[in-house]
Amino acid sequence: MTTTPTAAERFATRPEAANVDEYNFDHFKLKHFLEDVRRTVRNRGIEPGELAPDFELVRAGGGRVRLSELRGTPVLLHFGSFT
Amino acid sequence: MRFIDVVIRQAHPGPEVPAYDTFEQKLHDAERYRREEAIPWPVLVDDLEGTVHQAYGGLADPTYLIDRDGRVAYYNMWTHAPTLHRALTALMRQGGRGVVMDGIDHVPHMLAAMTDGWKGIRRGLPQSLVELELASPGMGIGLWLGHRLRPVLAPLTLRARPLPTSARVGLAAAAVLAVTLAIRRARRG
Repeated sequence: MTTTPTAAERFATRPEAANVDEYNFDHFKLKHFLEDVRRTVRNRGIEPGELAPDFELVRAGGGRVRLSELRGTPVLLHFGSFT
Repeated sequence: MRFIDVVIRQAHPGPEVPAYDTFEQKLHDAERYRREEAIPWPVLVDDLEGTVHQAYGGLADPTYLIDRDGRVAYYNMWTHAPTLHRALTALMRQGGRGVVMDGIDHVPHMLAAMTDGWKGIRRGLPQSLVELELASPGMGIGLWLGHRLRPVLAPLTLRARPLPTSARVGLAAAAVLAVTLAIRRARRG
């Protein structure tokens, strides 16, 4: 029986975890662009077939949603920025 | 089938949309995002550290297809609807379980982003445009052009389903014809 890793557990193993200001950058720079391209080409962030890291997040408009509660039906999960 | 959107950091900050300092700012933008883009499914807000975004790899504009058992069946960057449609159809064909289409899409689907990406940049003007141009010259202007040409480009670049084979053949033939004519004209000139 495999248990779903939580997003927090997976996050803790990533090198970017340390710096919240680095993540929320004030200026979009060349290094951010190159990082996006590098991750698009190499993208070993998550392996197909792996359990999707579980999370519970606040929902705009009220309430919360937990990913693992949606088991039984396929989910299309999109990450987007306001800008 | 369920759809979920997760709002992450400001990708292109600007004077009116600075980098987030508090969760409340992020929640506020998530509400605007849901309203302005008229998103009918749940719009969730990641924490300030980007815990969920980074746990999934920290990619730019990615979409993950998760199967009925909660496993990652497929994902792509620069969210491309026709490719996702194909992946979803393949997943349904195998009972909603397992990996489809080798699991990862390595193609940078920039055409859709070019047609639809101005919305985000526009919110951070002028800083967002200047910084994008400095980081990758031509892309900011390309986004603006893509937005202006949207009525012409959208039927090709913002399709929900893959282009029919006949249309692909037609477009390829038109491209070959255009190049041939251009070469002939250049030789004559």
